[in-house]
Amino acid sequence: MPDPLLIDSALRILLWSAVTVGFYWGAKQIYRRWPRWWLSPLLVTPVLIAAVVLALHASYRDYIGGTHWLVLLLGPATVAFAIPIYEQRGLIRRHWPVLLIGMLVGSGTSVLTSWALATLAGLDGPLRLSLLPRSISTPFAMEVSGDIGGIPDLTAVFVVITGIAGAAMGDIILARVPIGSALARGALFGVGAHGAGTARAAQIGETEGAVAGLVMVLVGLLNVLAAPLVAQLLR
Amino acid sequence: MSSRTVIAYATHVLRHSAPLQVGVVIGFWLAGEGIVRLFGLPLPGGIVGLVIVLALLASRRIKTRSMRRGAQWLLADMLLFFVPAVLAVLDHQELLGLTGLKILAVILVSTVSVMIATAFTVDRCYRWRADHAGSAPH
Repeated sequence: MPDPLLIDSALRILLWSAVTVGFYWGAKQIYRRWPRWWLSPLLVTPVLIAAVVLALHASYRDYIGGTHWLVLLLGPATVAFAIPIYEQRGLIRRHWPVLLIGMLVGSGTSVLTSWALATLAGLDGPLRLSLLPRSISTPFAMEVSGDIGGIPDLTAVFVVITGIAGAAMGDIILARVPIGSALARGALFGVGAHGAGTARAAQIGETEGAVAGLVMVLVGLLNVLAAPLVAQLLR
Repeated sequence: MSSRTVIAYATHVLRHSAPLQVGVVIGFWLAGEGIVRLFGLPLPGGIVGLVIVLALLASRRIKTRSMRRGAQWLLADMLLFFVPAVLAVLDHQELLGLTGLKILAVILVSTVSVMIATAFTVDRCYRWRADHAGSAPH
């Protein structure tokens, strides 16, 4: 007789993984037909899953227990960025000083405005700290959040909201403010809205996508390296 | 079959199979995780894996062709990997009220500021460098 607990957890993985992948796939088809920001798979899929979780009286713990392997795949996805970055090495060699200045200004703006606006809104403590690393991609952001005294789980949620909102607002900004160079358009998405922004930038153009992907990884790295310093300043 | 033909055949298979290439990418990630644990580095394992792959590509020990399809597959559906993390909001009911709206406002305004600041800085620097490269005497 196999262990009933083992069967239980295998079923849980099957059920929640199927629900997650199924809804994501469906949401992607819909978004392909009607590409509106409010139909973004990153927005629609979690809402549908939440409805199922609540309807079945399950908890977040049940759900994440069955789908944690998907979150783990963010690790290999980070490694996968080596390919587009390597293929764009000419662009990087030519423009690295410009991109570096852009990343420093962008990251500084992100941390300062998050802190100032959160303070203005009356948010403080771990909640305010959890908001600081939200412009960088999830694996980095959770690392930084833990380092500076935030709540990594919450930061993950803020990162995703930033991604969805950023991908949509990037389009609005580009439609109103003329930005001449593909380099700047890519940096806008990569620094402002990490993975979701990079996906959007790749739809705008090949150069934009490559710059966004590169800048996203580098800005994440920059933040992880700067986190101990920021933590010191906040103390 | 000599060992050389076996290797040539394996390389050929690898260059045409996206699932196998995903396996290779996962292998590099695991190597990165191992190194992070071993040395207690304050970095995500994926970053260490990324640096390893970049170093191997730059030293021409591996070719992009042996990973490109797998990498594209992972990157194209990267949004899926974020989805379970978002559900963490279910455990934080406090975010559903006024606090949630405040946070949303902070995120929206801050993100727009970041995007405009970054794009303007890069655009200005790019044009400054282009102008100076053009007008400098050769």
